[in-house]
Amino acid sequence: MSGRHEELLAYLDKSGAELFTLLTRLTLRQDVAEELMQDLFIKLSRSSGPNHKAGTWDAYARKAAINLAFDWRRGRKHAPLQQLEQVPEPVSNDNSPLGGLIHSEELQETLDAIGRLKKASREALIRRYIQQESYEHIAEQMGTTSHRVRAICSRAVNHLRVALGSNHRQST
Amino acid sequence: MSEIDENQIHDRLKRLSQIEPAQDATSRAMQQVRDTLTKQQEEHPRVAASKPTALGMAERDKAIPKLRLRLPPGAIKLAAAAVVLIAAGFVAGRLSGPSPMDVEELRAELEASLKSSLEPTIRRSVLDEADRRWQSVFAAGCAQLKEELAQQVRRDLTQFAAQSLVASGTQTQQQLRELIQLIEAARIQDRRNVEAALEHIESQFGNGLMTLAARTNELQGPE
Repeated sequence: MSGRHEELLAYLDKSGAELFTLLTRLTLRQDVAEELMQDLFIKLSRSSGPNHKAGTWDAYARKAAINLAFDWRRGRKHAPLQQLEQVPEPVSNDNSPLGGLIHSEELQETLDAIGRLKKASREALIRRYIQQESYEHIAEQMGTTSHRVRAICSRAVNHLRVALGSNHRQST
Repeated sequence: MSEIDENQIHDRLKRLSQIEPAQDATSRAMQQVRDTLTKQQEEHPRVAASKPTALGMAERDKAIPKLRLRLPPGAIKLAAAAVVLIAAGFVAGRLSGPSPMDVEELRAELEASLKSSLEPTIRRSVLDEADRRWQSVFAAGCAQLKEELAQQVRRDLTQFAAQSLVASGTQTQQQLRELIQLIEAARIQDRRNVEAALEHIESQFGNGLMTLAARTNELQGPE
């Protein structure tokens, strides 16, 4: 086995669960997250971009995971509707069916709005508010300062407020 | 534009952050990935093993970090920004700069420009000249007509005056003749009346007058 393969397996053992959680949160579907997880590691195995440093692997993998998830979300809008029995149960922490439906709709709407942000804003927002990473860690992996990451996150939240506010007004 | 509360945004993001996949799903996904990677490695071991050597990737992997270490951080971004700015300046210059001269187009534009600028002037000057000529011709004709009219009026007045004088003279002579005849007739009539009166007086007072004259002479004689 090559060194790259071993590194990938080691990275899978170390960060695979986090990446799968990230994909699940961004797709709200475990089955899709499983597929995207495979796509992600195939992409990592074929890419020659990141060097062998662990931090660079991690940053590249997380960015690729976010892009894969939102590519899937965009492609899903154009895909034909599935049969009702083929639609899996969405992920939800609420036990009430109505509450789960409402929460799922809100989360889908929020994720769609996040998908319309710029890539840097989207990545910073997701890593800060969904993955709960520290500003310093995000800044280190994005190659910028924590102060700038804070500014990016603040602007991203404002954009979300505007986008979700207009959606909210249209729905009411 | 309406906005929703920032707390609602954070609440939704927090709910997203609280989503956790099932443990068995996570394990299954990781196992699938591990199997896929292993299978992929088994299917292409030679390619994966020989690729870095064949392509010299090991050498390249060593070379790239050195190259990147030489460049200051952000140099690539600065270079890309400079390229974009230069390209934008070039495009702006090409768009705003003068285009290559086209003789036909220039001639057409010049012709159109001259036509548009000279045509009103020429038209105005032609109209002015025509007006001036018409006015001079009209003025000359008017003066000649006035002169002819004055001569005609003068001639008519002279002829009328002459005719009036002739008529007046004839009538005056006629009236004078008639007046003379009337006066002559009146004088003849007066003379006849005087003659008749004298004859009457002479017949009535002839002797008495003679007597009176004699007595008057007598009275005046002694003195």
